[in-house]
Amino acid sequence: MRSRSALSTLAVAVGVFVALPHALGAQDWRTVTMSRQRSGEDDLRVQVTYGAGRFKVGPADPGLLYRMQLRYDQDVFEPRVDYEGNRLHLGVESVGSSIHIGKDRGGEMDLQLARDVPMDLDMKFGAVRADVDLGGLALSRLELSTGASESTVDVSEPNSLDMRSASFEVGAADFTARHLGNLNARHIDVSAGVGEVTLWFDGDWRQDASVSVSMGLGSMELRFPEGVGVRLTKDSFLTSLDSQGLVKRGDAYYSLDWERAKRKITIDLDAAFGSVKVVWVR
Amino acid sequence: MRMPHIGSFLLGLTLGALVLPVSGRAQERTVVSKQVSVGRSEAELRLEFASGDPLDISLHDGSVFIDGEVVGAYQAGDDLDAAWRTLLGEAVRLDDGPLAETLRDWSPPSDLEGDRLELASRIDTALQDALTPRKAPEAPPAPSVQVSVGGEGDAALVRALLGHAGRLSTLEEALKDAGPNVKLHIGENVEVGAGETIDGTLVVVQGDARIDGEVHGDVVVVDGTLDLGDGSRVEGDVRLADATLHRDGGTVEGEVVNVQRQERDLEREIRDRLREELRSEMRSELRNATRTRSSGSSLFSPFRALFRTLGGLFENLVSVLVLGLIGMGIVAFAPRNLDTVAETARRAPGRAAMVGVAGTFLLIPVWVLGAVALAVSIVGIPVMIAWLPLFPLAAVAAALLGYLAVARNVGEWLSDSGYRYTDRIRKSNPVHTIFAGVLGLAAFFIVANLLRVVPFFGFFRGLLTFAGVMFGIVAMQIGFGAVLLTRAGRRREAGPVDFDEAWERAVDVEVEVEMETTAGADGPAREGAEGEEDA
Repeated sequence: MRSRSALSTLAVAVGVFVALPHALGAQDWRTVTMSRQRSGEDDLRVQVTYGAGRFKVGPADPGLLYRMQLRYDQDVFEPRVDYEGNRLHLGVESVGSSIHIGKDRGGEMDLQLARDVPMDLDMKFGAVRADVDLGGLALSRLELSTGASESTVDVSEPNSLDMRSASFEVGAADFTARHLGNLNARHIDVSAGVGEVTLWFDGDWRQDASVSVSMGLGSMELRFPEGVGVRLTKDSFLTSLDSQGLVKRGDAYYSLDWERAKRKITIDLDAAFGSVKVVWVR
Repeated sequence: MRMPHIGSFLLGLTLGALVLPVSGRAQERTVVSKQVSVGRSEAELRLEFASGDPLDISLHDGSVFIDGEVVGAYQAGDDLDAAWRTLLGEAVRLDDGPLAETLRDWSPPSDLEGDRLELASRIDTALQDALTPRKAPEAPPAPSVQVSVGGEGDAALVRALLGHAGRLSTLEEALKDAGPNVKLHIGENVEVGAGETIDGTLVVVQGDARIDGEVHGDVVVVDGTLDLGDGSRVEGDVRLADATLHRDGGTVEGEVVNVQRQERDLEREIRDRLREELRSEMRSELRNATRTRSSGSSLFSPFRALFRTLGGLFENLVSVLVLGLIGMGIVAFAPRNLDTVAETARRAPGRAAMVGVAGTFLLIPVWVLGAVALAVSIVGIPVMIAWLPLFPLAAVAAALLGYLAVARNVGEWLSDSGYRYTDRIRKSNPVHTIFAGVLGLAAFFIVANLLRVVPFFGFFRGLLTFAGVMFGIVAMQIGFGAVLLTRAGRRREAGPVDFDEAWERAVDVEVEVEMETTAGADGPAREGAEGEEDA
């Protein structure tokens, strides 16, 4: 009796191992392309959510409000597009209550957003490889929140609007932000949990800005272009600061040309564990 | 009769919204939204046009759908499927004009035949129908609005509009279903003499109307009086809003409608319905309350408190029993740890309590930070998986150990206290002291439960429960702190040694042992004890 039950258990185990690769391979991929023409939108509140896969954002062709191309497993996800009034919600959401682990299982989202429509952009993505280019978009506010991801955010062209604030909330991630000066933001907030964060403060600075950076655990690199005045205050627990090119005066670190600089960035750094490195770039 | 320009414009706008039917316009076939979905078993095109109507064509699981209706069947990978997917492949890249053009220009491939060709033709027709600009329907005769304002002209009109914004809804109701030609008189009286004829709707606002002739349409009077003379004729309805009708005969071919009365009737109806709903709600509430009250004084009511008391006591005793059994387990397997923790709790209760409170506050941050710290390295991730559930379990175990150590101290104290029956607690037996201590700490709850049977003692019951909770928290904090200080009883916490107390404790134990072992021959033992005391 015992041997029979052991045999049946073994058979089930073998069956599972044999069937597992087939089950994993039986994903039902679907490709969806959606686009909408502009129709006199004065402003737009855009919310983008994406769970897992490759995520790409860029500016759309003239005349388009958005274009979204998705590749997703239709047994697991479904696309979401809600457009009502001036609110636009794009992305994918899970079907049912199953939990999906992994950052790159073949899913993709390629999103293009209107260039000249003043936009309040809120992006949330989970375990993704994100390549976000915000250059050319007219952003009045930006909120970007990412979980466990490898994300690159580039503001390749200057923002035509005066942005109130930009916020980057990074979980456990490898995060790089380039051309932050092009955001034209009065305040930038970067909150990083665990990981490696590189912030490039290059770009076209058209106004002075304050930047709050908080980091839990990890390494952070702050890259400043020459010619921009930097004032850095630090409140840290067990964090090393490599303050290359900065001079400490009182409680703050100043760049050598702080008084003469045309544009000034004030950085308020709050870090728990890890290292912070300042690098000057030409 | 004046025809003010600005006023006419404003009123025209207002009335345009209120009166005029939607005029048919040429609907442009602008594709505002496109969705192309391609999967293993489906290929779908969904378009939305500027006019709001959609077009949805899909080949899905062997069926061909046009706007949700099955129009035929296909097989995955057949010529029709391939042709449709090729078209969608082109459509993916295009938008609006070029997209519409491509789709409109599509025609069934020449290699299709039979059913497939027929289906492809149906798809082609659907695309053609949806994408070809539609002819504008025949425009109805141009509607006209003639406005006449009495008194100060423009100013009166604007004042009438702005000052009576609240009346616009009434006006809207009054003008419902009015014809396309409207003659509007504001703030002036109107007379349609015998033999005179008006084509269209006559509207009089804040004025009186006297009709002896004919109106080929409706007559609407707002805030005024309508006199229908003998021989008058109204082909449409007479609609009155806040107006009075004097009728000396005449013919009204439609209905005489009092708009405000209708509104009032509707309001009354809604009010009555609300009142009735409220009444029924209140009735059912009252019924429930009465039922509750009556059930409160049922046959079983004297016993209900007793049952509740017994239930509460049973709960208390089960708690005591469970905690005591856990204590027995600790005594059996980790007696030294229990001793060390209990000793620390007894020697330095304040310090232990402070450490306990601090430890309690730090529990969650330590748990989270620990998990984060472990998550950063590959080696740490498996440890983190164990850390997440085990840390809270360890915290609960530490709190239990601490609580039971304090309970043991309470039991020892009770044993020494000299209260009635407490002398039965054997101080030398930790199981006794733990059970006694747990029972002692639960005493407040037990008494609170016993008070349930006594009426009017609710306040004291609450007070006792509060005291019980407070004592429990204090015991837990002292115990938890002692556990932290002694590393779960593995490290003896150094503290000032009270030699006198230690000596007394030693002497007490000796005396008790002597007493027990020399039962029946107490003379010499007592003498011996006294001798030691003297020494």
